[in-house]
Amino acid sequence: MYCLYIDTHFTNLVIALLLDGKVIDKEVLESNKHSENTINLIKEVLDNNKVSIDNVKEIIVINGPGSFTGVRIGVVVAKIMGYCKNIPIKAISFLQAVSLNYDEDVTLGIKDRNGVFVGSFNQKHELQEDYVYLSNKEIEGYPKEIIMEDFRVDIKKVYEFLKDKEEVSPHLLKPLYVKKIEVQNA
Amino acid sequence: MDTYILAIESSCDETSMAVVKNGKEVVALTIATQMDTHALYGGVVPEIASRMHTEAITLVLEDVLKKANMKMEDMNAIAVAYAPGLTGSLIVGIEAAKTLALIYNKPLIAVNHLIGHIYANNIEDEMEYPMLALIVSGGHTELLVMEDDYTFRKLGETLDDAIGECYDKVARVLDLKYPGGPNVEKLALEGRHTYTLPKPVMDDTYNFSYSGLKSAIINLVHNESQRGNEIRRADLAKSFQEVAIDELVRKVEKALKETKIKRLVVAGGVSANKYLKEEMQKLCDKYEAKLLIPRLLYCTDNAAMIGAAAYPLYLKKEFSDFRLNASSSGDIC
Repeated sequence: MYCLYIDTHFTNLVIALLLDGKVIDKEVLESNKHSENTINLIKEVLDNNKVSIDNVKEIIVINGPGSFTGVRIGVVVAKIMGYCKNIPIKAISFLQAVSLNYDEDVTLGIKDRNGVFVGSFNQKHELQEDYVYLSNKEIEGYPKEIIMEDFRVDIKKVYEFLKDKEEVSPHLLKPLYVKKIEVQNA
Repeated sequence: MDTYILAIESSCDETSMAVVKNGKEVVALTIATQMDTHALYGGVVPEIASRMHTEAITLVLEDVLKKANMKMEDMNAIAVAYAPGLTGSLIVGIEAAKTLALIYNKPLIAVNHLIGHIYANNIEDEMEYPMLALIVSGGHTELLVMEDDYTFRKLGETLDDAIGECYDKVARVLDLKYPGGPNVEKLALEGRHTYTLPKPVMDDTYNFSYSGLKSAIINLVHNESQRGNEIRRADLAKSFQEVAIDELVRKVEKALKETKIKRLVVAGGVSANKYLKEEMQKLCDKYEAKLLIPRLLYCTDNAAMIGAAAYPLYLKKEFSDFRLNASSSGDIC
């Protein structure tokens, strides 16, 4: 059973193809224009492995947090594919995906220009409190140590972790933004 | 054989999809508007628009296919507005279109949103060439000559603000709610042209200018309130509307006279304005020219016009690849 993995949340665009839980292809592209590259990379991965979209039986998408536009691209592609081809979609945040690399309680962060997206996870990789976005100033006083180094995701682990998790309806799938937009703060 | 195009439009605050047959017949049209949400903020908030497009995208697709009673497999091509507009919003429509093109192996057609507004006239009327095209919207004010399908020559354009932008600004100083244009028009119905405002451009070109008129109104409102005088809001709305639109009329008249072209299309959101329609009709009657303005549904942003504008490109096999990206600016020529 083929599973398509889509991660567009940050500068590295990652598309992978899994067969029965094993990663058989993974393409990583450093890109600042995900909108120009995502569909081509997906096509490349499918074509190189001679896999038709009709044989893809699961989609895993990183739903954020990160670049708003970046995350939206992966999410929109997953929504349309999932809806049209009736492919179950499973969504996971990038932070939770990274937490699978840790066997202990851990607080993880993704940096962007003005601050850090933060999430804390227990040993079972469950989110402990809501994700927060801390400005560079707020980080200084933050009580927990935030790991921001390890950005590797073990896609096989993600697949295993999501195995017994529920799929999300394509209509309801949406990005995890965490950060509020200016007018909402006002 | 008939050609069915699935068209997508997401350049501003409407998520819209349509199934258009042979560039003419609107088999189905769905428009999910975000207007009420943006009204809370007094104007379109780009990030909110992008988020709402994302949430609506598969729902709009489901609705349009249901209305058309068709399947994606029945489509001959996927068309999408790629420019001009809010890039974050455009990208949602573009990624959806590219995904559809990929998974159903259909050609992808990139359509300029403004050209879409012009081709909206082809839905219920027949565009014939040569033809004058006046584009009036929130971002654009230009006058073009079309010699044939997709053959554009610019006569003139705004040197600063677009007329729609000016309407929105006037709405703000008159404390009118978003969307400003229709509300200024409504208020103007109750007023008389009693304020003296500067004429936009006195020159002999086909260009437009609206920043002077805008500033004059802002200053007038400011000065009157400083003096403690009441603004006759309806009169000011009426005076503004007449000066702004009379300038369009003056330039279009010059074009009708000099080019001797007997057809005029008016396109873009401001073409929904009744006073504009009446004045253009009078002008066309005078020069025995045919006036085309789409009915309201096709004046404002909608995907049917994108499907109509995509059809000539489909016939010419002018397809896009998957690198297609959004652009905030998108000059026709």
